[in-house]
Amino acid sequence: MAPRSIWNGTVTFGLVNVPIKLYTATESKTVRFSEVHAKDGAKIEHRRICSKEGKEVDYDEVVKGYEVEPDKYAVLDKDEIKAAAGDRGKVVHLQEFVDAGDIDPIFYEKTYYVGSRDDADPYRLLHEALSKTGKAGVGRFTFHDREYLIAVRALGDALALHTLRFHDEVVTADDLEIDSGSRKPSQQEVQMANKLVDTLYTEFKPRDYEDTYREAVLDLLERKARGDEIDLTEQEEPEQGDDLLAALKASV
Amino acid sequence: MARALWSGSLSFGLVNVPVQLVSAARDLDYHFNELHGKDNARIEQRRYCSEEDAEVLWEEVARSFDLDGKQVIVRDEELASVQPRKTRTIDVEAFVDLAGVDPIYFDHPYFLVPAGDSEGTLRAYRLLVEVMGRTERAALGRFVMRTKEYLGAMRVRDGALTLTTMRFHDEVRPTEPVPTGGKKPVKKALDNAIAVIEELSTDWDPESYTDCYRERLRRVIDDKRKRRKIEVPEPEKQPAPAPDLMAALERTLQNAKAGRDIRTRPDGDGDLSELSKEELDERAKEEGIRGRTKMSKKELVEALSDGD
Repeated sequence: MAPRSIWNGTVTFGLVNVPIKLYTATESKTVRFSEVHAKDGAKIEHRRICSKEGKEVDYDEVVKGYEVEPDKYAVLDKDEIKAAAGDRGKVVHLQEFVDAGDIDPIFYEKTYYVGSRDDADPYRLLHEALSKTGKAGVGRFTFHDREYLIAVRALGDALALHTLRFHDEVVTADDLEIDSGSRKPSQQEVQMANKLVDTLYTEFKPRDYEDTYREAVLDLLERKARGDEIDLTEQEEPEQGDDLLAALKASV
Repeated sequence: MARALWSGSLSFGLVNVPVQLVSAARDLDYHFNELHGKDNARIEQRRYCSEEDAEVLWEEVARSFDLDGKQVIVRDEELASVQPRKTRTIDVEAFVDLAGVDPIYFDHPYFLVPAGDSEGTLRAYRLLVEVMGRTERAALGRFVMRTKEYLGAMRVRDGALTLTTMRFHDEVRPTEPVPTGGKKPVKKALDNAIAVIEELSTDWDPESYTDCYRERLRRVIDDKRKRRKIEVPEPEKQPAPAPDLMAALERTLQNAKAGRDIRTRPDGDGDLSELSKEELDERAKEEGIRGRTKMSKKELVEALSDGD
């Protein structure tokens, strides 16, 4: 089944216009619970209550306000919030290219797949060129009235669009004020640790890592549904080793 | 310093380093509150029992899951019982090439900082930074935070250990169903496209990009507060596909080489109305156009066109 697109627009690359559609690339598989009233198992509803009147408020009576000073709000309507989205609309201009591998993982936020539309040849061209050069095109993208910094790169046969964090949204190590201690690790300790890194080296295969906790939760739910008694065991804390070198030696 | 979201220990072989997890991402967004339009009073979300139509306190709320149509209610203690045994530990399971991990797997970034200031902790932390900082590999390990298990990729950034939580393989959709275009490009077109990319290549410099959305939203809030008129810009129209792909590419390459705006057309100075308000402002500034800060986008386009 063809996936449903969530956005369609045009990516430009100079005077080359690439009509595209966007698709969701990731989905959370975390087990989601709904809230119920413990007493009768009835669904919990979240209702909007006016804090002044103590009465329920219909959604169409709700407005959005930004608190400019305590208890004073600048109320913005939908169109006014739209004014902040800028005038890019449905166009993403790629005006700069960077080595995709140079973007630190810390900047990546969310990924979408980019698919081709009607006039599909320019898509293939952009894909091949990005794939051959290992570059990512950087631009801006407006989605749900919000503008994002994005990078477009080749991923397999398709293109991927990643939203990126802005530099001031990323915490730096300097902000953390990490105490470096008084003694440097010894040469021997470094060598032992390096050995351990080599011993544990393997190729990354995403399928080697299953969400075992998700499986355990689903298993718990099945046991509960059968009416099994649930064993509430305590968890153990690991022992803290004191002698760094001895611990490293024992690990290798 | 940032608030610790988790504390436990990072376990590397038999070495345990007490660490805390702090977020590496800062929320700088403007957040809005829901208000009652009538009296600007804050809206509160309260929980009601759908059966009894009465308010329910948080203590009376339970978690429920629909298992093939059967309602299963679980308590927090029961959920805790299935958490992995070493729940306060991140066990380093493997080292992998960072370049071999596709960014699509990255979820949220954190820093790992040493917990406490004991000499042993600081030295073990420093050892990991030193050893991991020299390799292009990332350490992988699992841990449980709140009620979820995470896979984390750890590496060194600016002398500190970072941990980025990762999506599991079945949380990443396959690319196969995505339509991926038409004809394979001819060699000349591909060569030109690559030449354009090389011409426009630059180093990744995150500081060269500012969040214009955040700035515009701040201006809108400010305007509203001072009861100024808020202008909603006209969104840019989607350009039609170029009639001749090869000609468009060649012109783009010429533009890039000449340092012109890459969307400049051969028959003139490009379509100014395709530029954003910020870009027009910039050009107006360069050309010394007076009163530009008060101009609308349309007026800027007109003023810039007159100058030529």
